[in-house]
Order: sequence, then C-alpha cells, then structure tokens
Amino acid sequence: MRAAIVAATLLAIAATAYAEDERPEIQRMRFVESGDDLQLSTLPPGGIGKLFDTTAYEALSTGIPSTVVIRIQITPQDSDEPVAEQLIQRSVVYDVWDEIYTLRLDQPGGRKTIKVKYRAEALKWLTAIDDLPVARLAVLPINQVFVLKMVVELNPVSKETLAEVRRWLSQGNGGGLDRGGAFFGSFVSVFYNPKIADADRVLRIRSQPFYRPTP
Amino acid sequence: MRGRLMFALVALVATRPAFAGDPTHPPSAPASPASPSPAPTPPAPTPAGPAPADSAPTEPSPLPEPGVEMGPDDGPASGEPEPTPPDDPDAPLHEDNEFGPVILIEEIDVTGNTATRTEIIRRALPIAAGEVLHSSDKRLREARFKVLALGFFRDVTLAIRKGSVRGQVIVEVHVVERGTLVLNRLWFGTTTLSPWWLGTDLGERNLLGLGIAVGGGFIYARQTADAAGARDQYAGELRLSIPSVRGTEWGVGGAATLVHGSEPFRVSGAPGDASAKTQRAFPYRRLGARLGATYDVSALTQLSMGVRAEAIDTTLPVAPARVLPDGRVVAVDLHLDPGQSRVVTASLSFDRDTRPDPILPHAGGHLLVSAELGNALLGSSYDYATFFGSYEHYWPLRGEHHAIAVKLAGGVVIGSAPRFDRIYIADVDRMLTPRALGLVLSTAAPLAILGTRADKPSYGDLGGSATVEYAVRLFRGSGKRRVYGGDAFAGVGLWGLAETADLRARDTGLAASLPIDLYADAGLRLDTDIGTFELTIANALGRLR
Repeated sequence: MRAAIVAATLLAIAATAYAEDERPEIQRMRFVESGDDLQLSTLPPGGIGKLFDTTAYEALSTGIPSTVVIRIQITPQDSDEPVAEQLIQRSVVYDVWDEIYTLRLDQPGGRKTIKVKYRAEALKWLTAIDDLPVARLAVLPINQVFVLKMVVELNPVSKETLAEVRRWLSQGNGGGLDRGGAFFGSFVSVFYNPKIADADRVLRIRSQPFYRPTP
Repeated sequence: MRGRLMFALVALVATRPAFAGDPTHPPSAPASPASPSPAPTPPAPTPAGPAPADSAPTEPSPLPEPGVEMGPDDGPASGEPEPTPPDDPDAPLHEDNEFGPVILIEEIDVTGNTATRTEIIRRALPIAAGEVLHSSDKRLREARFKVLALGFFRDVTLAIRKGSVRGQVIVEVHVVERGTLVLNRLWFGTTTLSPWWLGTDLGERNLLGLGIAVGGGFIYARQTADAAGARDQYAGELRLSIPSVRGTEWGVGGAATLVHGSEPFRVSGAPGDASAKTQRAFPYRRLGARLGATYDVSALTQLSMGVRAEAIDTTLPVAPARVLPDGRVVAVDLHLDPGQSRVVTASLSFDRDTRPDPILPHAGGHLLVSAELGNALLGSSYDYATFFGSYEHYWPLRGEHHAIAVKLAGGVVIGSAPRFDRIYIADVDRMLTPRALGLVLSTAAPLAILGTRADKPSYGDLGGSATVEYAVRLFRGSGKRRVYGGDAFAGVGLWGLAETADLRARDTGLAASLPIDLYADAGLRLDTDIGTFELTIANALGRLR
C-alpha cells in the first residue's frame, strides 16, 4: 500500500513536470518557397523573444558572452523522422570600454560578425527568425503535410563541461568500505543533488502543419 | 506485510544531462540574412487545417517580441548594423575562434561569500588576473560552472566592468552560498538474517569554508537469534578529503572505519534454503584506516593511489564445516586468520567518466580499474592481490530519447585474501542485498534461473557481470517543480562468481557446474531536487530477502 502511494505520487509529479516542461508551444509560422529553399519566419505574438527574461536580458550587458542555439527539424506530421535539420548559433558579447555589442552569427549562409550600439538591437539579432532557409524544397514532396519543430536554448552547456562538473560533484566520499559497490553497482547513493542546468532557458516550439501546394 | 518496505529508494548525486548538441559547425545552407526591423505586426489568424507554404517571395518580416523591460541604456535601433572587418589574424584566438574585444584582466573581485574563503573560489576559476583573452573566451563562459562545481553555491554570476586603464577589466564573481551539509546515504531494510537495519551517512562538503570535505556514516543491524553465534552488528566510518590541494590537480583523503560484525556461513541445508537455521555466524571486529591521494590527469580522468591498514580480531569456530544434503561433511574455508591479524595494502586506480549525466545517462562511458596489493613486506598477514574493473557505455538512440547500454564489471583475487576483500555475491548479483559499510545483512540465495550450479558460493575470487540495459526517457524538466527527469529502464545480464578451486574440478556436467546465472531488473528512475529515486525490482529484492 505504501509503495503504491509513493509510486503514484512520484508518477504524478513526473507527469506534471512533463506537462509543464516538455510540451512544445504551438506557434503559427510563415513558410515561403524561395528559389530552391523553404524559408521560415516567426509571426507575432510568437517567436523566440521570450527566451530572454529580465535577468537574461540584463546579462547581455555584463560583458560575459551569451549564446542562443536554435535547433530546427522538419518532420512529416505523423512521424518523428526529420527530413531536414538546421542548427543556428548566435552569440553576443558586450565591450565595456567601447560600449558596443559584438554579435557572432552562425547560420545558413555562413558566419558573420556585426556590431550594434544598443542592447535592444542585440536582442533582436539574437532572436529574429526572418526568411531563414530551413530546408531544400527537394526534400519536401508536394502536398505532403509537415511540421517544424524548434528547440531554442540560451547559454547551453557542453556535454564535456557537464561531465566535468558532475565528476567534481560526485567526488568526496573518500573511499570507505563500500568498495565493491563502486565497481559492481550502478550507482553511488547520494542525496546531494545540486542541479546545473544544461541551459539557462529552453523553448520548445512546434509550428502549425503545413504543406507545399501543387504549383 | 511484516513491516517490510515495498519500495526501494536510492538517492544520488546528479547534474543536468546534456540536452543540446555542441554546435561547432555552422550550417551550410543558402543564405538569407535576417534583417531586424523595429515595427512588430499584429498576429495572423490561425487556420484550422494545414497551411500551405507561400510560393511568393517573402515580405518584410515581423520581429519577435523580446518580452523584456527595456533598461536605461536601451535606445532605438541605430539603423543598419555596422559591418565588422575580418578578424585580425594576429589576434590570440583560441580553439573555438573567439570574437569580441581583447581584454586584460586587471583584477578578479569575489563577492557574496561569507563562509567560503575567497581563495577557494579564485583557485576554482579558469582565469586569473594578468591574463589577456577575448571577452568571448571559453574560459570566461565556463568560469561560472567551475565555481558551481565546488558544490558550495546555489548560484554564481559573473560580470565585467571597466578597469583602471582602457582595455583592462575587473571580473566580478558574485556567489550565493548554499547549505553544504548533505545526506549521502540511507540504509534500511529487513531480511531473514537481519530483522531490521538502519543507518545513514552524512557529509559536510565545505568545513569552515576551507573546501575540506568531512563525513561519516553509521549503521546498526539487528541479527536474528536463529543463526547460531549471530550478534547484532554495527559499523561506523569517518572521512576527510581535500579534493584540490591549494588549487592543484592533487587531492588527498582519508577514512577510518570500525566494524563490529557477525559473519554468517552455511553449515547445513539445501542450496536454496536461506533460513537462518542453516547458518552459523562468527564474531569479528575490524578497525582500519585508508589514506589516499588523487591526481586529475584531465578534466574527466583521475588517477588514485592509496594505502590501507586494518586490524582484524575474530573468534573462528575450531573446525568450521558444512553438512551437505547427502550427509557428507565438508570443511569450510572462512578465509581469515584466527585471532588477531593485519591487512596492509597499497592500491592504484584509474577512473575516466565521460557521461554528461551519471544519473540518467544516455551517452558517454565510464571506465574504472583498480589494483590492490597486500604483502608481508608491507606488514600484512595476508599475501594477495585484487584486480577489479568496470566499463559501461551508453549509446543514444532516437535523438537521445532512448539509450542502450552495455555494462561490464569483473574482478579477480589472487592469493590468500581475507574474507572481506573477496568478491561478495551481492557485488555481482544486483538482486541480492548488498553489504553496507562491510556488514553482511542477508544470507538469501540467488534466484536460480538458468538451472546452472545450484550451490553458488557467497564469496569468490573470480566474479563479474555483463548487462545490457535499455532506457527510455520519460521526460526532462526544468526543475521548477523540483523534478528534473525520469527514465524507465529494463536490463538483463549474466553474473558469475566462483572459487578458483571449483573451476579446476567438477563432478557434474558442464552446464550444471557453471557458477553463472541470469539476473534482470526493470523500473523507474526519477531525478529530483532532493536526489534520485530508483524504483526497481532488484532494489526492492535487495532490501527484503
């Protein structure tokens, strides 16, 4: 009985957390055929601007770099197998002496560096998705319905850094008698669980279904 | 119910799993540079069905709304952005081709620490006063995590402000301290041999703000009177370690342990009969200490070396023997010297762990190998060597939503090792009750699934396990509700444990004599703010048999 209550409670927490954190936000987006490419634009009130709350916005002026990573997948509506993928990285750093923002944009078309004067401008460059080529038209058959899935992360942490931090945190028991467990057991049992997020903030966005009409 | 707990709880150290790939390569699709414009447009109506992609050239696009308050330094857009000339080829770029102004760190200013000494924080930083770097340097980006990794702080923020001379900056590091008293382990359960046991292990990771970790554990186990000679057991341990001595790659640590135990061994009964009446126990006392040093070969690789000295005091039965079901009487080797003896060893181990998330791993691997030598030259009563190793690797599937893992672990004991240094059956069969601070808490026989050798030894000098595990990500969260992630998993594996002498001669067929068997496990792992809960079949069995 006690086990059932505990299990039910944990599963309820898990289900609530899933509902809160994993469910993608549905946004209406604009898709345009241009040349050989499909281009994407976000539409108000959507977009990825909400990635920045007040704290993150003010952090743009600290002189410490901020990075936005956007991962885009296009999949058939009834499948999780992507037909096209895109990875975009945008970084900004503030020059405290010249009082300008330098941005490094890695996205379709290659890398470019720009400088802007105001923080709001820097934010716009970090979050704008306008006419962004996201797929070759050749991979999108006419009249087949697709959806676009987007995961946007603010200041993601590399796996190597996470592994390094985790290793430091998991040390400290000093080698007692439970030596066997270290070799044969799967886990070290510790309640101490300081969480270091894999990103300052994550947005999961999904577009409305779309298709290429017959020309 | 007999008061038995019907679930198992294991709490673990955890960090967030890697969610994003490392975007080191820019995409190469055709370009369409974004052009911010200041005027947002009203939202478009959403059709009920799929929307066709426009075939006309794109119109000027709206901007995403930032969703933030504008600060005092925010002004209107300044028109077209200023193009930047190509990077100076002579600039001191690093491996990820940093950009932004080159700065000279004039000073590092640490604030917010009341218990932790500033020097501890400075040593953890990958930057130092006097260094020249780009303001986008990887070291600046990762400095926050290096300080967080100390485990002493709830949050760490960095900022840069002007220094005394143009081009020079002061790096401000602000920390928010957290409680560093931690609960490492809980031991509890009930078995036929031990009606109940209870224990805990606590630690303080930042003693007096010096970055020194201390800890200790204690367990008490009630023993049943059905096993002749059994007595209540208890064990305690004290530990101290300095993970990084004066900011270097070297660390030191030590532990002292006292075990007041009662070790069971089988004297009668069929192989599958785990009742206490088939057991007899002898008392022992162990008092020992370990001293060790660690060296961080790299961020993910560590070398450890240590020495151990232990005094064992035991009263052994005069002629321990077992009556087999067919009436024969065989001698039992308890692998201990009667009376007082000493164990003195030197050890060396190597650890490399590349798993971004050790709690809910979906990628990376973990290698751990160790050798320990005890010899009369060191003053030991036992001449022996042990070699242990484990390796597990995780392969992500379906975009890291699933993972398959192979886990291998094994060891060999050479020479006349003391009983406590031999491989215990619960070390290799996870469906049995593991030792806690060295105490044996159950005499349950392993489940006989394969129909191989029925009478498997409790201790062996050759043992190991091989497991294949499949995990499915149930969810990942931000922790807003104190839940970070959950996995369902199922695994199956082979385990084996043998005395070398048993392998040299057999009186049955090969299959019936092999000291191996199958084990399986399945359950749920939840990563939460207070630890990781593991609800698994094997864990429950290990606390109830």
